[in-house]
Amino acid sequence: MIYCERVHKKYGKVRALHNVSISCGKGEILGLVGANGAGKTTLFKILLGLVTADSGEVEIAGDGAKKIGGIIEKPALYPYLNAHENLRLFAKMQGANSSKQAVEASLEQVGLPLNRTDPVRDFSMGMKQRLGIAVALLNNPSCLLLDEPFSGLDPLGIEALKQLILDLTQQTQMTILISSHIIDVLSTVCTNLSIIHNGEIVQTGATSTILAACTTSYSLCGSDIKKASFLSDYDTVSNGDCMTISASATEISDIIFKLSQQQIAITSCRPVLDLQQLFNPKEK
Amino acid sequence: MKLHGILLLFLFAANGFSQTAEEQVLFVKSRLDSIETFQADIKLHVDISFIKMPDKEALAVFKKGEDLVIKSEDFVLIPKRGLDLSFSELFEYPFMVVDRGEVEGQSTSLLAISILPSDNKADFSVANLHIDTQKQRITWAEINTKKDGAYTLRLTYPDSQAILPTKLDVSFEMDRIRIPLNFAGSDVSIDRKKIREADQKTGKIRLALEYRSIEKTQ
Amino acid sequence: MRLLYIETYKLFRQSRTYYAILALFFIEAIVLLSAYYQGTGIIDIVLANLKDTFYFQGKLLNGNLIIYFILNSFWFHVPLLCMIIVSGMLTTEYQEKTLQTVFMQPVVKWKYLLAKYIVASLFTIFLVLLLALTSFILSYGIFGKGDLVVYTNGLTFFEHDDAFYRLVYAFLFGTLSLVFFSVVSLTLAVLLKESFKTWIAAALFLIVSTLLLKIDLGNEVWNQIAFFKLNNTWQYFFNHDIEWNTIIINSVLMGLYILVTMLVGLFLFQKKDIG
Repeated sequence: MIYCERVHKKYGKVRALHNVSISCGKGEILGLVGANGAGKTTLFKILLGLVTADSGEVEIAGDGAKKIGGIIEKPALYPYLNAHENLRLFAKMQGANSSKQAVEASLEQVGLPLNRTDPVRDFSMGMKQRLGIAVALLNNPSCLLLDEPFSGLDPLGIEALKQLILDLTQQTQMTILISSHIIDVLSTVCTNLSIIHNGEIVQTGATSTILAACTTSYSLCGSDIKKASFLSDYDTVSNGDCMTISASATEISDIIFKLSQQQIAITSCRPVLDLQQLFNPKEK
Repeated sequence: MKLHGILLLFLFAANGFSQTAEEQVLFVKSRLDSIETFQADIKLHVDISFIKMPDKEALAVFKKGEDLVIKSEDFVLIPKRGLDLSFSELFEYPFMVVDRGEVEGQSTSLLAISILPSDNKADFSVANLHIDTQKQRITWAEINTKKDGAYTLRLTYPDSQAILPTKLDVSFEMDRIRIPLNFAGSDVSIDRKKIREADQKTGKIRLALEYRSIEKTQ
Repeated sequence: MRLLYIETYKLFRQSRTYYAILALFFIEAIVLLSAYYQGTGIIDIVLANLKDTFYFQGKLLNGNLIIYFILNSFWFHVPLLCMIIVSGMLTTEYQEKTLQTVFMQPVVKWKYLLAKYIVASLFTIFLVLLLALTSFILSYGIFGKGDLVVYTNGLTFFEHDDAFYRLVYAFLFGTLSLVFFSVVSLTLAVLLKESFKTWIAAALFLIVSTLLLKIDLGNEVWNQIAFFKLNNTWQYFFNHDIEWNTIIINSVLMGLYILVTMLVGLFLFQKKDIG
């Protein structure tokens, strides 16, 4: 379990975190959403013990020598060592099993090949992320913090990482906290979301609830979508084969039903978030 | 008559036993010339204020008519002057002997003489010697060279018969040492006053000789 | 022990360590060559006054003198290179953010840095030993044995056996100074974190220490205990009579300076946030 309450942190005159409280239980995946500079990384550093909060309470519950593992920003590994050597080194320094078998098991867990011997500096970003996660998972922590794990990854890499995260939760009931500014990806992985803006948590709750409350329009794509005449009753914006329709979650279901009745094929239906609403819910 | 005869005999005998200074020098020279060769183990002790050197061992090999040869495995400082135990350099060219009278030695009285070369080719201007007339050998010498300054020798002999000394102290003048600061050690505190005061220094080398063999003329 | 092994492993897995070692050997080779070509001239100048009065028998341009030249040239480039390598043990971890990864594992901060201090000190000692060994082997191999002449307020000659031990002791006790500079560079790395800033600060520290060595502080006690005055303790071995008391006192003081510098670094590192 990851828990912090009323955490404050200032860097000189700059307020990085103000009265931040979050909670993430066993088996949960909590997403921390915020723009660049919102305070996500600072919070993660405090939770990981790298930085001391000015005030507030932090509690990481778990068994074993290592309660929490993580990646801050980009995975930081020894570039002149290969994957095996990095894992063995980090395992050894904390007294974890650094045998060849244990290292190979770690590599397999994150889907990295066992036969690569070139130094980490030659790895792609996706492979570095995986290796970073493998290092974070050394010594079987109960909690995992991933700071912007999807940035710099291609779509395939993002999908692979998402699957890895889901597998970890299912297999080990690990508590996972992920931060990102890419809400689309987070929304498909996280059970709960906390929104952070200017160093403050502005809203927390189930992912579906938060997204629903901030969704005021949907983007529907289909090659014949412009033929749907009834759409003129709604507030729409056309963009090629896509149309952004201002509608609620209930209304969009009706719209899709009507489109299907008119045999107009839809290739995608994506909620469009009102970011203003997301980061400033009180100003609705 | 008989008394006159005895007196005359006494006077003649007295004249025959008291030699002139020149005769003394020539006698000592003949004793020194009788040494054909010798080999000696020598210990060199350097007694110069600005040089600290451990005592060195070497082998000295002398052959009449040649310079003394010093052989050593270590680094040794061999004085350019003072190792001519046969004093052949003094007697190489014609010379005059001046009697300076007697001086008191340690346990005996010594004859002080000066040797003045007659030939300009000699590389010394004057040599002052103390001769032990009883044991017929030189105990002290001060030689003023034309080019290399003056040096003194003090000779100590093992017994009354010995022709060659077992201890030899060579004293000489030395200019103050000048070391370019570039080549000094990393942290050398230069005592400039001391250096200036040490303009003209006297150095001494003490040699202890242990003879392996001495060959004399038959 | 684990952390010591890890730090040693990392140090010797990085190419820059070997570049530094090669650089030191290259400098040593240059000193050897210059001694070979200029050594006779230097001896001639040093002994110029004595030539009027003495013949010289034996070789003064020998292995002992070459080692002495190397020893004299030691006290800037070797600590400078050591400081660059040692400070890099920490600054690169800041730069590459591996320090964050390390402290996201259950590793105690001060223990981690202490391991770096210990490995840095051992590495410095290892470098000195390596240089000393190669100096002795090459110098004696090429130039042979013989008396050593040094100028310390006069000419002092040491016989070979005596010279050998003095040179060995000089390297050993001089190593303490080098360890001190290495420890200082690591402490500077704790303060400054960035590579270039740390290199500049370390070089400045070394230069100022070298300059201050010659300055008279006007106070007998300060002249004895100031750290920059202790860096030439090795020279005491080339006085005719070795002042063991002074050498031991200086060495103990230098050990204390090393300890204090380490403690300052450990304290600051423990207090500081990572990242």
